[in-house]
Amino acid sequence: MSILLEVINLHTSFFTHQGEVKAVRGLSFVLEHGEILGIVGESGSGKSVSSMSLIGLVDEPGKIIQGSVLFDGKELVGLPKKELENIRGKEISMIFQDPMTSLNPVFRIGSQIVEVIMRHTQITRVDAEKKAVDLLELVGIPEAKDRIKSYPHQFSGGMRQRAMIAMAISCDPKLLIADEPTTALDVTIQAQILELMRDLNKKLNTSVILITHDLGVVAETCDKVIVMYGGMVMENASVLELFDNPQHPYTRGLMKSVPKDVSGTRTRLEPIAGTPPDLLKPPPGCPFSPRCPHTMEICIQEAAPMFKITDTQSASCWLHHKKAPSVLNYIKTTEEVDS
Amino acid sequence: MSEQRIPLLEVRNLKKHFISGSKLTGRKVLAAVDGIDFVIYKGETFGLVGESGCGKTTAGRTICRLYNPTAGEIIFDGEDVAKLDERKLKSFRKRVQMIFQDPYASLNTRMTVTDIISEGLEANRMLSGEKEKTRIYELLDLVGLKREHASRYPHEFSGGQRQRIGIARTLAVEPELIICDEPISALDVSIQAQIVNMLEDLQTEFGLTYLFIAHDLSMVRHISDRIGVMYLGKMMEVADSDELYIHPYHPYTQSLLSSIPVPDPRENAKNKRIVLEGEIMSPINPKPGCRFAPRCRYAKDVCRSETPVLREISKDHTIACHLAEEINSGI
Amino acid sequence: MTKKDFEFIDSSKKLDKEQIRPSLKYWEDVWRRLKKNKLAMVGIIGIVLITLTAIFGPLLTRYTYYEQRNEFINTPPVLQIYQIEEDAYIYLTKQYYLLLVTEKGELVERLEETSSNTTLRLKTYDYLGEEILINYTYKFSTDPAYKNIDFSVTYKDVETFEKTKSVLNRTYPFGSDSLGRDVMTRVMYGARISLTVALVATIVNLLIGVTYGAISGLEGGKIDNVMMRIVDIINSIPLLLYVILLMVWLNNRGLWTIIITLGSVYWVGMARLVRGQVLSLKNQEFVLAARMLGVSKTKIIYRHLVPNAMGSIIVAMTMMIPTAVFTESFLSFIGLGVSAPQASWGTLASDALGGLTNYPYQLFFPAFAIALTMLAFNFLGDGLRTALDPRLRKG
Repeated sequence: MSILLEVINLHTSFFTHQGEVKAVRGLSFVLEHGEILGIVGESGSGKSVSSMSLIGLVDEPGKIIQGSVLFDGKELVGLPKKELENIRGKEISMIFQDPMTSLNPVFRIGSQIVEVIMRHTQITRVDAEKKAVDLLELVGIPEAKDRIKSYPHQFSGGMRQRAMIAMAISCDPKLLIADEPTTALDVTIQAQILELMRDLNKKLNTSVILITHDLGVVAETCDKVIVMYGGMVMENASVLELFDNPQHPYTRGLMKSVPKDVSGTRTRLEPIAGTPPDLLKPPPGCPFSPRCPHTMEICIQEAAPMFKITDTQSASCWLHHKKAPSVLNYIKTTEEVDS
Repeated sequence: MSEQRIPLLEVRNLKKHFISGSKLTGRKVLAAVDGIDFVIYKGETFGLVGESGCGKTTAGRTICRLYNPTAGEIIFDGEDVAKLDERKLKSFRKRVQMIFQDPYASLNTRMTVTDIISEGLEANRMLSGEKEKTRIYELLDLVGLKREHASRYPHEFSGGQRQRIGIARTLAVEPELIICDEPISALDVSIQAQIVNMLEDLQTEFGLTYLFIAHDLSMVRHISDRIGVMYLGKMMEVADSDELYIHPYHPYTQSLLSSIPVPDPRENAKNKRIVLEGEIMSPINPKPGCRFAPRCRYAKDVCRSETPVLREISKDHTIACHLAEEINSGI
Repeated sequence: MTKKDFEFIDSSKKLDKEQIRPSLKYWEDVWRRLKKNKLAMVGIIGIVLITLTAIFGPLLTRYTYYEQRNEFINTPPVLQIYQIEEDAYIYLTKQYYLLLVTEKGELVERLEETSSNTTLRLKTYDYLGEEILINYTYKFSTDPAYKNIDFSVTYKDVETFEKTKSVLNRTYPFGSDSLGRDVMTRVMYGARISLTVALVATIVNLLIGVTYGAISGLEGGKIDNVMMRIVDIINSIPLLLYVILLMVWLNNRGLWTIIITLGSVYWVGMARLVRGQVLSLKNQEFVLAARMLGVSKTKIIYRHLVPNAMGSIIVAMTMMIPTAVFTESFLSFIGLGVSAPQASWGTLASDALGGLTNYPYQLFFPAFAIALTMLAFNFLGDGLRTALDPRLRKG
C-alpha cells in the first residue's frame, strides 16, 4: 500500500496574551491509502489541533511553527490559502463533533451538498443535485429524494451527522478527518455511524483519521492508533498491538481507568493520578511525567525519543532504554524511530 | 446472602408532562416521564440509563422536587413528598441532594469555594464560625482538595476539580440519597475513574444511597448494584446490574448493550450488533401502546395497542414487554 | 546518560506540580478587553473630565452662576473689535450697546449712549469726552459695495468700516447670556444638575428595576404574567403626560420632581432586561444546586442571579444615563424642569431660544455639553457590552 499522508515533526502553538500555548509539540505519523487511523487523547492532548493543522484550519492566534505535512507528496504547510481551499472539501474532508453548528441552519441540506460539489467539480447543477440524492442514500438516509429538501433542524442528531458525512465524501476525498464525530450521539446511533464509516472506507478506499477519547470506538473502527498526551505522541501502534501489549504507561493507565465487563466481582478502577497538563507551562521532559507511576530522573529532564518496539509499534518512554530498570513487560530496545 | 433491604426511595407511577401551546394552536404534551416505577434500597447504587429523550434527567429532577410531578408518588423514607409544598420540603431538601453534569455551569463563578460549600450549611443553619470553617476543610480533604483551595474561585480549577467542589457542597448538608445526574460525562477519561472511585469510597464511608443517571453504559454497570432502563419516558427493564448485562430480556436493552463499543478489538469483531432501524419517536403527544414498537423487530399488534406494564420475569428482574418470553425462548 | 538518570523519582517530587493556574478574575479580564477598545477609553476619559468639571468647574471660575452684570448682557465668545485709541478698542453688541474692550478681549465697561437717531440710523457714544459715532445705515443698504458691512465707526473724524481684529472674549469665554451671566459657569453648573439627576434616577431605576425583574423572572407563571402586564401599562403612558400630572399632584417643580419622575418610569426597561436574564439563568445548574440546598429565594436572587446578570445590568445602566440626561434636558427645555436661577442644560437651551438668531452661542454650548456627555456614555456602554460578551470569555 502506498503512503497518502506523512506528517513530520509538526508543532503548532497559540500565541495568547498570557503566553505561548504549545498545543502540538512534535507529531509524526504515516497514513496509507485506505487506512483508518485513530488519534486518542484527552483534553489538552493536542488531538483536535493536530487535525486542524493538517488542513490549515488553525487561525489567529494559532500558527504552525514547525514541521511538514506531505499529502500525496505535496507539502501542505505554508501553502497559500487559495490552494488549501481547493484541497479542502475535495481531496481532504473534515467532519466535526457537533453537526448542528457545521450545517448552515438557513439552507436546505440538499443545497449545502450541491454547493460543495459544485465548488470542486465541473458538473452541472442538475447532475450535482442527482449526486446529492445518491449520497444521502449512500449514507443511509431514507427517502433521500424528499429529505434533500429538509432543513438541518428537521433532522435528528444522527441524521445530521450522516448528512455531514455525505457532504464530506461528495467529492470523493482521499482522506476524511473525523473529529469526535460520535461523541454527541447516543450509543445506538454511534454504532450506526461507525458502521457507516467502516463501510465507506471499504467501498471507496477513503483513508480516515478518527479523533476520539473513547478507546472502545478505537478498538472497533481503527486499523492503527496514535495515543497523544500533552501535545506529544506517547504511543503509535496497530490496533491489535495497542490493546494486546500497550507499551506506554499512559496507554496502560487509560485502559485501567475504563471499566471492563467483569461480572461478579466488583473490581476497583485504577485511575491515573493528577490532572492533564497546562499547555502554557508544560512540564519539562516527558509531559506525562507528573502522573506516571514509573517516573525516573531522566523523564523530567528530557522527553524520550520514539523507541521502536515492532515494525508497527513504537512508544516514547524511557523505560524502553536499556539502562532503565525492568518494569512489567516494557520491552527494551535500542532502535529509535527517526522523526 | 440475603440482607435486609430497606427501601429508601420508592417511585410509583411517576409522571412529568410539559405542556406547551394553547387550545387555539393545539396543546402539545411532552410526556418526558410517563409513569415509571422503581425502588431504591438504602445503601445501594441504582443506575438509570437510556438515550437522549428518554426522560432520565427529568425523572431525577422530579424525584428531588426541582420539578413538580404531574402525577404519581415519591415515597422517601416512608413519606410521600410528591405533593408537599415548598415549606414542608425543608427537611427533605437536606436529605436528598444532587450532583450535576456540567462542572462549568454547576458552580457560581462569582463565589469562592468556601462560599459555595458553606451555602448549604448556612441555609440549613447547621454550623457557623470556627466550626463551619473546620467542617469546610474536612470536606475539602474528603474530596481530595487542599485547604488553600478554599479561597479560590471556580475558574481557577479544572473540570475534575470543579466536580469535586460540587460533591463537597453536596456532602456538607449530610444527605442520605444523592442523585448523580451524569456526573462524569463531561470529564476526561482518566479523571472519570478518579471521581467514580471517590464516589464509591464516600458511599462506603457515609452509607450513602445513589441514583446514578448516565448514558455511559459500561461505567453504569461498574458502579451500580441495580439498573433501570428507560425509553421515551417509560421504564423498560429493571434488574441487578450484572444480571441485566448477561441476560437482557427487553429487545431495547439487547440492542443498547450490543451497541457499546468494547475496548478490545477481538471482542468487537465477535459481537453481533443489533442495529436499530429508524429514529427515536418524539415524546410529544404519545399514543398508547409500547413506546418501542415502531423500532422493534418483534413488534406485533398487541404491542401497538396496549401499553405493557412492568412485570417480574425472573427473580428481581422486571420487564415491560408483551413478548419477552417469546423473544427470549432460546435463553 | 548514566545509570543515575534512570533511577525512579520519589513520588512526592511529582505531584506538587499540580498547581492551579490563577487565570484572570472576571473583572480583570473585562478591563483588559475594554482597554483595547479606543472609543470606550475615549468615553471613560470624557466622563471623568465632565465629572471633574461639574464638581470643580464652578468653583474655579470668576463668577457664580447667578451673578448678573447688566452692562455686559449678550456678549458672544468671539468679539470683532475696532481700535479707536492706541489702548482702547470698542465692540458693538447686536443691541447697539457699545462696550469698551482691551486689545486682549477683556470687557472694561459699557460706554454711555449720548444720542440716537433711528431715522438716520445714527448713534453716538461718549468716550472720555470724545464722541464715537456709529452709522448703521449700511446694514440696510442695498448698495453692493456695502454688502458685508453692517456699520461704520467714526472717531475723531475718521470713519472705519472694517474691524481691527477678532479676539476671544476674555471676560466670558463662552459669552454672556441675556442677564449678563457667564455662560461657561452656568454650563458647568448645569452639568451638576444634569448629571445628578441622571445618576440618581438611574440608581433608583436600578434598585427598583432589578428587584422587580428578578422576582418576576424567578416566580414565573401567573405572578410573572401580572407583573409584566403592569410593566406594559406603565410603559404605554406618554412620559410628558405623566410628568405634568406628577407635577400638578406634587404641586412642585424642580429637581426632585424630575428625579421622582424619571425614577418611577424608566425602571421598566431594566426590569424587562433583568427578567430576561433571570429566565435564562434560573435553569442553570448552579441555581438548581442552590434550590436543592434549600437556599431562600431572596438569597438566590441577590447571590446567584443578580451577580451573574451584572454584565448586562451595567451596560444597561451606562446606556440609561444619557437617556436620563436627555430626558431631563428635554423636560427643562419645555419648561417643566428646574426653575431660575438654577440652571440645567435644558433650561439654558430653553432660555437661549429667544435670541437664537442673534446669539446662537447661547444654545450651542449647553447643546454641545449634552451631546458630549451622551456620546461619552454611549462609547463606554458600547465598549462594555463587547467586553462583557460571555462568548468571548474563557471558562
